[in-house]
Amino acid sequence: MRRFDYERPGTLAGVIALLADAGAGARILAGGTDLVVGLRDESIQPAVVVDLKWVAEFAGETIVDHGDVIRFGALATMSQIEHSELVLGELPALAEAARVVGSVQIRNRATLAGNVCNGSPAADTTPPQLIYGATVVVAGPDGERRVPIDEFIVGPKRVDLQPGELVSAIEIPRPPPSFGAAYLRSVRRRGTDLASVTMCAAVDEDGTALLAYGSVGPRPFLVRDDSGLLADPGADPDHRAAVLDELLSQATPSPRSIRASPDYRLAMLRVLAMRALRTALDRRSGRAA
Amino acid sequence: MSTMKVGLSPHRVGGYERVTGAQEYLADIPFTDVLYAKLVTIPCGRGRIISIDKSAALAVPGVRLVLSAADLPQPVARFGPQYRDRPVLAVGETKFHGEPVAAVAADSKDAAEEAARLVKVEYEVLPGVYTVAQALAPDAPLVREPELRPGDELAGSNVLTRRVFEWGDVDTAQADLVIDESYSFPMITHFAIEPHAFAAAPDDDGIAIWSTIQHPYLLQRMMAELLDLPLAKVRVYAPDPGGGFGGKQNMKLEPLVAMMALQTGRPVRLVLTLDESFQASRRVSAEFRVRSGFDRDGHIIFQDIRSDYMLGAYADIAERVVTKSQYTAAGPYKVPNVRITARSILSNTTPACAFRGFGTPQVNWAVESNIDAGARALGIDRAEIRLRNLATRGEEVVPDDTPADGLWPETVRAAMDAIGWDTPTPAGRGRGIAVGIKASATTGLSYSTVRLLADGSVLVFAGTSDMGQGARTIFAQIAATELGAPMDAVNVVSGDTSVVPYDQQTSASRSTVFMGNAIMRACRDIQAQVRAMAATAESVPESQIVVDRGVVSLPGGDVPIVDIVRAGLGKLGGEIIGNGMYRKEVQPEHPLGGSPAFYEFNCTAVELSVDEETGHITIHKHVIVGDTGKSLNPAQVAGQDEGAAIQGLGHTLMEHMILDESGRIRNLGAIDYRIPTSMDLPLHMESVAIENGDGPGPYGSKGVSEGGLLSVQSAVGSAVADATGVVIRQLPLTPEHVWRSIRDARASQDQ
Amino acid sequence: MTQRLTIDLTVNGRPRQLDVAVHHTLLEVLRDDIGLTGTKECCVVGECGACTVLVDGHSVNSCLMLAVEADGADVRTVEGLARDGELDPLQEAFLDNSAAQCGFCIPGQLMSATALLDQIDDPSDEQIQEALAGNLCRCAGYEQIFAAVRQAARERSA
Repeated sequence: MRRFDYERPGTLAGVIALLADAGAGARILAGGTDLVVGLRDESIQPAVVVDLKWVAEFAGETIVDHGDVIRFGALATMSQIEHSELVLGELPALAEAARVVGSVQIRNRATLAGNVCNGSPAADTTPPQLIYGATVVVAGPDGERRVPIDEFIVGPKRVDLQPGELVSAIEIPRPPPSFGAAYLRSVRRRGTDLASVTMCAAVDEDGTALLAYGSVGPRPFLVRDDSGLLADPGADPDHRAAVLDELLSQATPSPRSIRASPDYRLAMLRVLAMRALRTALDRRSGRAA
Repeated sequence: MSTMKVGLSPHRVGGYERVTGAQEYLADIPFTDVLYAKLVTIPCGRGRIISIDKSAALAVPGVRLVLSAADLPQPVARFGPQYRDRPVLAVGETKFHGEPVAAVAADSKDAAEEAARLVKVEYEVLPGVYTVAQALAPDAPLVREPELRPGDELAGSNVLTRRVFEWGDVDTAQADLVIDESYSFPMITHFAIEPHAFAAAPDDDGIAIWSTIQHPYLLQRMMAELLDLPLAKVRVYAPDPGGGFGGKQNMKLEPLVAMMALQTGRPVRLVLTLDESFQASRRVSAEFRVRSGFDRDGHIIFQDIRSDYMLGAYADIAERVVTKSQYTAAGPYKVPNVRITARSILSNTTPACAFRGFGTPQVNWAVESNIDAGARALGIDRAEIRLRNLATRGEEVVPDDTPADGLWPETVRAAMDAIGWDTPTPAGRGRGIAVGIKASATTGLSYSTVRLLADGSVLVFAGTSDMGQGARTIFAQIAATELGAPMDAVNVVSGDTSVVPYDQQTSASRSTVFMGNAIMRACRDIQAQVRAMAATAESVPESQIVVDRGVVSLPGGDVPIVDIVRAGLGKLGGEIIGNGMYRKEVQPEHPLGGSPAFYEFNCTAVELSVDEETGHITIHKHVIVGDTGKSLNPAQVAGQDEGAAIQGLGHTLMEHMILDESGRIRNLGAIDYRIPTSMDLPLHMESVAIENGDGPGPYGSKGVSEGGLLSVQSAVGSAVADATGVVIRQLPLTPEHVWRSIRDARASQDQ
Repeated sequence: MTQRLTIDLTVNGRPRQLDVAVHHTLLEVLRDDIGLTGTKECCVVGECGACTVLVDGHSVNSCLMLAVEADGADVRTVEGLARDGELDPLQEAFLDNSAAQCGFCIPGQLMSATALLDQIDDPSDEQIQEALAGNLCRCAGYEQIFAAVRQAARERSA
């Protein structure tokens, strides 16, 4: 791969200073599972790579229970998330998504923050974060700001980070007891694969249903159904289908993809939505009980 | 006093090295002062090379050579195992995506990569042919220049050859039912986990070449011809390949690397990336139209098979793949009327070559699926229709050629038993069964030298590449058995053409039979010398002594060979050297150059379910039954059969190379070319060996390495049709493809 | 700003101080700088697992990790499995089950299986399949590899 400079500041301030200095020429290294692929195929050609793993503020903070909020440090890995009792208990759909990111080797390195910052429309962990209402904590020259994940993700490979900024943590509010969520995806084989559809569904106590889905447009979408129809398995199937069609109408899958054609993606979106809703309903009653 | 080591499963020879990391594959070999090579390519299939500017590349510190076709002796040398059609570097235009237009050699990998990036190639994308239809279009651009095909009446087309195999009379045969369908089999790549690698170094006044090659002696001969050197001056080192599957049979980039070594006077090594390996080898893709005639009892009356196999830009060994597979395209059946018309068609794609199964899985997909269609139309059980038509031992499948050499119906019945064919299929599932045969080697020549050392240990010299099939373990087992040595006192030497005697090749599952017999004969040679030694020592006439399987039987009782040898060699020590040769002669009038030494016969049966909403297939049970003659190493037989079956499942369920309009491969590499992982396997897999000791190899063995994938796709396709009622005729059966087929079929039913 | 860095790490129990190019991966440094070629290179995108090593006990794709990231780490490769000339029970199990065919993927399979068995004494078949999903075997000796891992697990817990 091409040469670059490498820096590993010991403080968050040091990272911010370096990023501000290098501007667009800097790339952040956390788990490296996307970055190093890009460095090798030269789709990423930074002047300097800034490694976060020596930052004192990030050391030790992986997944912390703050009561009403569960906080994921910048270096929290997929493996830590999928095995965390806290996540498995409170945010099962996020654990499900983390568990299907690549192989064990990838998950031991890949970070949640990195998955978000990579901005892939197919990112597995984004739909559950949308469903759970995650907040992205951004650190920069002017201090910290908090951005709802729905606003943080802008488009393919584009997120709301200004020069000098990085994601220092992700905070997810603890869901209420009667909130059920589930994550599913469409793949070409059962072993590791990139998703051609991602789908997270949730239902709450009032019968409100949330869907977050990706890989079918420039960014994942979060939609909401207040009619109660989706949370009611006994409702008229045609009415449910009509609601679903409306909720999924933002999907505009690319005809150029080699992973799946648009009509297959659109069909899978519906299949996965119904299946994820079913599991979400089961989980809601399980949690409430 | 049994010295029998065959029929057991001792640790693999080379196993220790493989589990400790000590096994030296080509990329692992330490070289002093080696130059790193890197290829320069352009991102399209067929492209005209307008200019190549090397200046920036040459300015990179550490760069020793930037080579393009213009720097080579003119006209640029061409090579190939069947046709001398492939130039050392692209001349004038690239013929396929990834064909190197230049190559760089530098002191470091970094410098080589940087320089390769800086070679400025100006090019123009030319119209190319990337599908059978494009290649056959009347105004199609020609892949191979007509001037390279003098005297060839097909030179004005992209058809390289047209072969017809015919018996009986298809046109007048009367059938009660005719099935007429079309099928296709996509482009698939070998994806050996070890990418191809090559090295070369000047060696006195000759050259040494290292290659991940399966056929080192063929490489030696072709390199000697290309460089105009005596065979003795071309030394080929062939370290064990990290997977071959046919993709490493024949010479590819060795001439380029050899010329770089000769120009720089230094060792040069080129290790391909996985992406580049995709551009080095692939399976021949194919399209078929098959008309099958049946009587009402399900007897096959005729097979009219039209096969269009799409080769790549250079023929490699692919035309032979087509010819050989089509010869037995009608399968292991007694069919009175057959016409097989096979075209080998050139295209601007990765040069296709051998791949486990050698063209058979492709046509098996078409012919076996048509037999299924016949069974369905006639209301006959799909296994029963096969049993009614199968040849059994002694019956011919191709007139006047090697007859069926195993108990094939018995093999099918074993598969039926294992899958529970006669029990009700569980709800929501489907079953499928299919058979396949592959003609083994038609000619061959293997030499071996075996040295029985003074302490009874043994060195076997056998030039067969061990690419994972476990050839060296089998050889050691044979020598250990015949010479009475423990397995850990036998060493097998291979991989150096200057040290190890000639072996024609390892392909067509031949090694156990061909090299196995050569080793057996070398051991017999030693046994004869031991007998003479014993006669002298014991003052007994030789006629009263028998030496077999490690034991010297004297009138007074049995003695281990090692006792006679130790005493006979005396104080000076020494050794007993045996030579063996096994040869299958060319038959000039035979369409294949010789009749098959044996057939590899296999029956595959599967039980599966289909998620009709998503198209995902779950294989609940997968049974493979092969006729091995005799399993010399049952664990290795299972490994070969099950490995082949899973590889076949990859072909069936997920693999295909995808090209864009300019012939560029869009799914180069491991991210978007999917092969089975540990999570994509059948939930239950069972392999069974039928052993009747009726093979031509040592102890009645036959070759086994390909059987497990001959008919996987056909059995799975059959089971999908059984489960869903929907017949799919194009591979692979990806979830999307299955989903779409079901959707379309249901939609047309509704109309 | 620096393009080379001196790092301290332990490789198979041996402390090493290395001056590495910052753009070189751990895989490149293991193979080219130290000469530990048991770790293999294939896909270089983290899909095939041939380059799997353990870093502080966790399996990682060494093709996707810069060598500088291993500064201070404990790295274990296939060469470090056998101790004092004795094969690890997992290696023995691979031999007993003929799990190595061509052998090229085997170092990676062994390292992933080692990480699994270090975490779970008695893994289920599903856990074994999941743990090895990032290690492709084109010989497809998966059934034999699973059998070897099961055997090693039994021996470890016995």
